[in-house]
Amino acid sequence: MTDLFEPKIVGFLCTWCSYTGADTAGISRFKSPWNLRAVRVPCSGRVAPELIMRAFGEGADGVLVLGCHIGECHYDSGNHRTAKRLPILQTLMTFAGLEPERLRLDWVSASEGERFARIVTEFTEDVRALGPCGWRQKTPLPDVELVGGAQ
Amino acid sequence: MTLATDLQDLAYDLLDSGQVSVVIGYEVGPHNRVRPAFVRDKDGVDRLTWNEDCHHNLTVYLREHLRPGDTDRVAVVTKPADSRAINVLLAENAFSRDRLHVIGIACDGETPVVHDTLLGEPDTSPVSDPLTDELARLDELSPAARLDYWLNQFDRCIRCYACRQACPMCSCPTCLYERDDSLWVGMGTGLDEKRAFHLGRAFHLAGRCVDCNACEEACPVDIPIGLLNRKIADEMAQSFGHRAGLKPVLSPITTILSQEEG
Repeated sequence: MTDLFEPKIVGFLCTWCSYTGADTAGISRFKSPWNLRAVRVPCSGRVAPELIMRAFGEGADGVLVLGCHIGECHYDSGNHRTAKRLPILQTLMTFAGLEPERLRLDWVSASEGERFARIVTEFTEDVRALGPCGWRQKTPLPDVELVGGAQ
Repeated sequence: MTLATDLQDLAYDLLDSGQVSVVIGYEVGPHNRVRPAFVRDKDGVDRLTWNEDCHHNLTVYLREHLRPGDTDRVAVVTKPADSRAINVLLAENAFSRDRLHVIGIACDGETPVVHDTLLGEPDTSPVSDPLTDELARLDELSPAARLDYWLNQFDRCIRCYACRQACPMCSCPTCLYERDDSLWVGMGTGLDEKRAFHLGRAFHLAGRCVDCNACEEACPVDIPIGLLNRKIADEMAQSFGHRAGLKPVLSPITTILSQEEG
């Protein structure tokens, strides 16, 4: 059964670098797993801890935060804040029972398509090896039968 | 002369000379329970007391008593941990130091880092710290077992916000966790929302929590909030060499990377 498991990855991508980096990866035909659900954010500094916890709470198996390299932030120091916050959040969530490998912060610039594809592939495989995440506590919505549903 | 009478004398002098308009201390209320006392009249200083049940962190009242624009001064009774809270509040520009008279009480083997008047002797007997052992025990567990442990704890939460109200650092005019228009956090009592509240609050206190444990004392269902805060405080010490409140400096998590960190 485990080989049927496909991890759900939520990626918060900074619009100035990593999001464009993802485009570069596509244009350059680098393969990256489809498991990543990309969320475009104005800056990695915008990724509040609440957002990450919510992503896990809604059933993400891994959360990837990608921002600009230190020193290249469009807003000068947004990624500095992320660089400080994320490790602390990782410690806290690990203490509360999350595997630390499920949360990763990395830097990808707009031209680094190959690097983007590599990081996403690595992360997806790491999370796949961990199996489904037990963090989610919400009772799943009941299966709704579509009226006159799709054939 | 006991510490309590010293305290009463000092409060009398401060009020009598007009140096402060209110002394915030402890009194014994109904059912012999210790509660915060606000003494504005010099003849009321007999109410003030000091004993081992004085758990509240009274610096929580400073913001509302030292609003910008007013000029009256306030005296506050502080334990060593509470005095560290004053340093954090000063760093965050909550009020100006000159409007505050800090009555520091040495106890638990410590002397308050901020004080204008010091009462008592630091007790030199070693203070036991059960949190360290409990932290080590939890760190040994598997992630699944820790998840289970914390879900069991958070499950009891009734979202009364007593922890938040008791905390001098929790001072947002509208708490993120008590807004019905917060997009990413719910104000319901679902287990996931309660966990998000506690972890989120612990995170907001990163580098600011002074380990006074007022939140845990206030919790009606005994959630070990102090453990979460201690875990983060240890991490802040390890990552940034920062212990909250020893000096009036901001939490390193709110500042940009320094040269050597970059």
